[in-house]
Amino acid sequence: METISKAIKKKDHDSKISGQALYADDYVMNGMLYGRLLGSSKARARITAIIIPDLPEGYLVVDKYDVPGTNRVQIIQDDTPVFAEETVEFVGDPILMVVGPEYNKVESILENIVVLYEELVPTFNMRKADTVFFDYHYAKGDFDKAQDEADHIFEETFQTGHQEHAYLETQGIIAYPHAGRMVIRGSMQCPYYVHTAVTKALGYDARNVQVIQETTGGGFGGKEDFPSILACQTAAAALKTNRPVKVIFNRREDMAFTSKRHPSVCTYKVAVKDNMITGMGIDLILNGGAYTTHSSVVLQRALISSSGVYKIDNLRVAGRAVKTNMVPSGAYRGFGSPQTIFALEMMMDHVARKLGTESLEFKEKHMVKQGDTTATSGKHHFHVPLPEMIQRINELTDYPAKRKRYSRQSGRYRRGMGLALSFHGCGFTGSAEGEHIKPVVRIRKAADDQVEILTGNTDMGQGLKTTFCKIVGETLGIPFEQVLIENPDTDRVPDSGPTVASRSIMIVGSLLQQAAEKLRQIWQTGEEQIVEEHYVEPKFIIPFDLERFRGDAYPTYSWAVNAVEVEIDTLTAETRILGAWGIYDVGVPIDLNIIQGQMQGGLLQGIGYAAMEKIDYNAQGIIRNNNFSDYSIPTAMDVPNLVTEVINNPYTHGPYGAKGAGELSFAGAAPAYVEALENALGVDLNKVPFTMEDTMGVLREVHHHD
Amino acid sequence: MVNGYQARSLQEALDILSSEAVIPYSGGTDLMKKANGNATYLFLNKVPEMKNIREDRKYIRIGAGCTFTEIIESELTPAILKEAAALVAAPAIRNLGTVGGNICNGSPKADCALIFFVTDSKLRLVSKKGERVIPISEFYLGRNHTILQKDELLVEIFMNKTGFENYCYKKVGARKALTMSRVSFAAILNMADGKITQCMIAFGAVGEVILRRKEIDDMLIGRTIPEARAVKENYLAAYEQAINPVQGRISAEYKKTVCMNLLGDFLDSKGI
Amino acid sequence: MISFMLNGTKVVSTARANEPLLNVLRNEFHLSGVKCGCNEGECGACAVILDGRLANSCMVALGSIQGSKVITIEGYRTTERFTVLDMAYASVGAVQCGFCIPGMILASECILAKNPNPTRAEIQAGISGNLCRCTGYNAIVAAIGIAAKEGQGLW
Repeated sequence: METISKAIKKKDHDSKISGQALYADDYVMNGMLYGRLLGSSKARARITAIIIPDLPEGYLVVDKYDVPGTNRVQIIQDDTPVFAEETVEFVGDPILMVVGPEYNKVESILENIVVLYEELVPTFNMRKADTVFFDYHYAKGDFDKAQDEADHIFEETFQTGHQEHAYLETQGIIAYPHAGRMVIRGSMQCPYYVHTAVTKALGYDARNVQVIQETTGGGFGGKEDFPSILACQTAAAALKTNRPVKVIFNRREDMAFTSKRHPSVCTYKVAVKDNMITGMGIDLILNGGAYTTHSSVVLQRALISSSGVYKIDNLRVAGRAVKTNMVPSGAYRGFGSPQTIFALEMMMDHVARKLGTESLEFKEKHMVKQGDTTATSGKHHFHVPLPEMIQRINELTDYPAKRKRYSRQSGRYRRGMGLALSFHGCGFTGSAEGEHIKPVVRIRKAADDQVEILTGNTDMGQGLKTTFCKIVGETLGIPFEQVLIENPDTDRVPDSGPTVASRSIMIVGSLLQQAAEKLRQIWQTGEEQIVEEHYVEPKFIIPFDLERFRGDAYPTYSWAVNAVEVEIDTLTAETRILGAWGIYDVGVPIDLNIIQGQMQGGLLQGIGYAAMEKIDYNAQGIIRNNNFSDYSIPTAMDVPNLVTEVINNPYTHGPYGAKGAGELSFAGAAPAYVEALENALGVDLNKVPFTMEDTMGVLREVHHHD
Repeated sequence: MVNGYQARSLQEALDILSSEAVIPYSGGTDLMKKANGNATYLFLNKVPEMKNIREDRKYIRIGAGCTFTEIIESELTPAILKEAAALVAAPAIRNLGTVGGNICNGSPKADCALIFFVTDSKLRLVSKKGERVIPISEFYLGRNHTILQKDELLVEIFMNKTGFENYCYKKVGARKALTMSRVSFAAILNMADGKITQCMIAFGAVGEVILRRKEIDDMLIGRTIPEARAVKENYLAAYEQAINPVQGRISAEYKKTVCMNLLGDFLDSKGI
Repeated sequence: MISFMLNGTKVVSTARANEPLLNVLRNEFHLSGVKCGCNEGECGACAVILDGRLANSCMVALGSIQGSKVITIEGYRTTERFTVLDMAYASVGAVQCGFCIPGMILASECILAKNPNPTRAEIQAGISGNLCRCTGYNAIVAAIGIAAKEGQGLW
């Protein structure tokens, strides 16, 4: 183990464990008003009238007329309105905000506002959607020829569902005018995204907006775009009232009206010759919901990841993100790739079965290795450690033997074992870092020789404050305690890019290491010194052409092998997880505890995604299970000890050998879980979530045929 | 400021209940879910007469105000009740929620109410005017709807002292904790001199009220195992007809399949 | 007026009897360590120790706790037992976003108070009402086990 990997007490440990850390809802300011949003009750409609009752003194309604700049939220595009304009596009689409000194009164005013709608026909079925937000395709080799020459062609369609982030702290923003400027504080992943959006909505000069991240109670992608929307609304309210305004979502609002993982439908057509896959045709639809938010980039990653860890010479890949009248889908750990990796892993498994080979053996025959081309005709520049990872998981789980043993069972309880191979492309897709983000970091040494890290990156629980300080402390050769880091404040920190895409350690951490190295060389005890570092794309990268999806989509990849063992009670279709394992390559862990936490947390989110988390829309487009009682996430009793290990495979261009980690742990869980169900049930399955009811459906079917 | 009454004795509680418009508050875990700023509660959680678990000559008498945790920790409560209480939600709810609330809330999913049904327990209802003891099967009129009068409190539950050892209990939820019953099943079968003396079955979460059909179970009473086997088909057919779950977020088909599977398995386990 | 013992001090609340204890603790007594994750008794972020037992404070009406003892993380963090849990949680990095942690710590205390040497299954059951979306629970379960070992005699 590298020295830097040794776990230490996290920077934010003391304040959090003692309950002293302040989250957005914990701030109370003088004269503060409370805001609540009125969302559309229709999935698609024209607003014909809004009838507002007489408001008591001190209470106000804020709507599209109160947005002084542009009534649009700048995300990637700007189709998301701050407040609804002529139409509403999903149930919950924000129409207005009521603000006032007492939350209960605000709530009762809200209940008495009447919105008249002229209803329009909504679209909920992504396969029948007529608005295509984004449409991408790319190819490699000649898939037509591969089909012509194939011994077999297999085709199958797979589906994945919505997933709620379910961070424990709901969305929350405070906005207040201060000295002619607007200050935003709150729960968020990307202060500079919020900064850009609020600047545009208010029509302010960028210098007059200040965004400060408060302690953030979990994100997982869910606080990537949504805080920009809420911040624009809250800022408009603060401007109109000239008072601080606080908006904290209750759990039901948060679950019903904020972004989710994109549901998908994905069809794989596979050409096989001599028992080897020679080509794949992949067609993906992502349900983007009502507005585009992050759908373009989610779709890109989903498509680029769609042939996963396999070397497929002839590829034809196409995908669309379409509009439906559902809550806008957005970023969520894995960012599109879990959807295609699920479909791919199941397809590999099914093709293997049809060819009479064992799933893992078949997958192993197709794995990429260093030097191979990627799906986008880029290159796997570095060692691919999958073989040794598979060997390790076999040692830990006895996978091949168990898999065989479980393939023929009778009796009430039936076990199954599944395994999935996955990867995560580290950092932003394509050339975004160099062309759009252009991250900057700063390190400031004070006269007392305390060193402060200044970046726009946020710690939302993933441990970034600790890992950044370790990198800088180690490089400077000074104690961890001598390195300070605060929650980012756009008045104080440069834009080092958002905290997304498993980029923070690899990209920003690298810049910090370089900056620290510079500072070390010019270190003057007792003097204030500032070092700034700008991103330069590594030389080895084959430039990515987004038009053609060609080149290195990612500089490198993190790798994962997951296994899940289940036991099904055939009387009730309840499925118990007997074991869940993950072997991960994240380069060198900057902190072993932190990496273990990321791996285990992501693995369990993935199991939830596969087994129990299901958003239940009714025919009117209303999410019926908008609470923790009806939308179940795993409790401590739903999992055994999660066994996760990291292997040593230093990344030469990452700080101390580190590369992307946070998202990697998610994708393999769902296919491993469903493969385990298949092993137990003896059938092919093709969707997640695969719930108890689904399992019962299979059991009834099997029984029927007995 | 009259927005709540703390009763310190049953008498005081009944006095307030008969004269004021109050909502009886036992553990609060169902009431507080639907936050109601206008509610005036009659707090019963410190009424000693409702907190006891004791035995008399005939019954185990469980105070309606006993929390699920108190049920689990008591030496007197039967294992079948403890098992159901231990599967309610999670500790921080089990420490508040009470068996009385579980019954009076009127949900067909109520975990402990199922056990009181399958054990043919009785409820002691008390008002200022007097009291009555009724079988739990007569308590419910429908979902969230009971015969409890406005001035009446459920004070105790009477369970027989023996006869519940040979039980089977199964709760099926969305996950292993913090979950409501999607289907629940409880069954007791006792034999004496080679004949079935008691067969008691109850299903939760499959209708407006917990399902307990004595007349069907009576088909097996007085029979030997082989004799019971001979009527098994009719017995199962009767339940097949009796179980008609309401279509909700959980499919009726799923619920019914689980019910019949669990019932069939229970009979199998007894050699029937 | 409801009076109760809050973190060892007698207090009187002027809030309505039907007010959730969670709101009273946060708004009237400014105990912001008590977190609101769902307000429906489904997540455990607002858990406190009420008369020696773990309770979700969103599910408790103020009027029901006349004369009761309430301990929140603000009171508990001054104890020796907290220090043991604090070190145990730190040693495995069990604190990520931190939002579930005050409730989780109080749940840990209640597990160990009842059983100083809990099994893994007992620990899992003891925190089963405290949702955590970050850790996968491994580190938290491990931390409670470590605290049990390190805190010999304290519980």
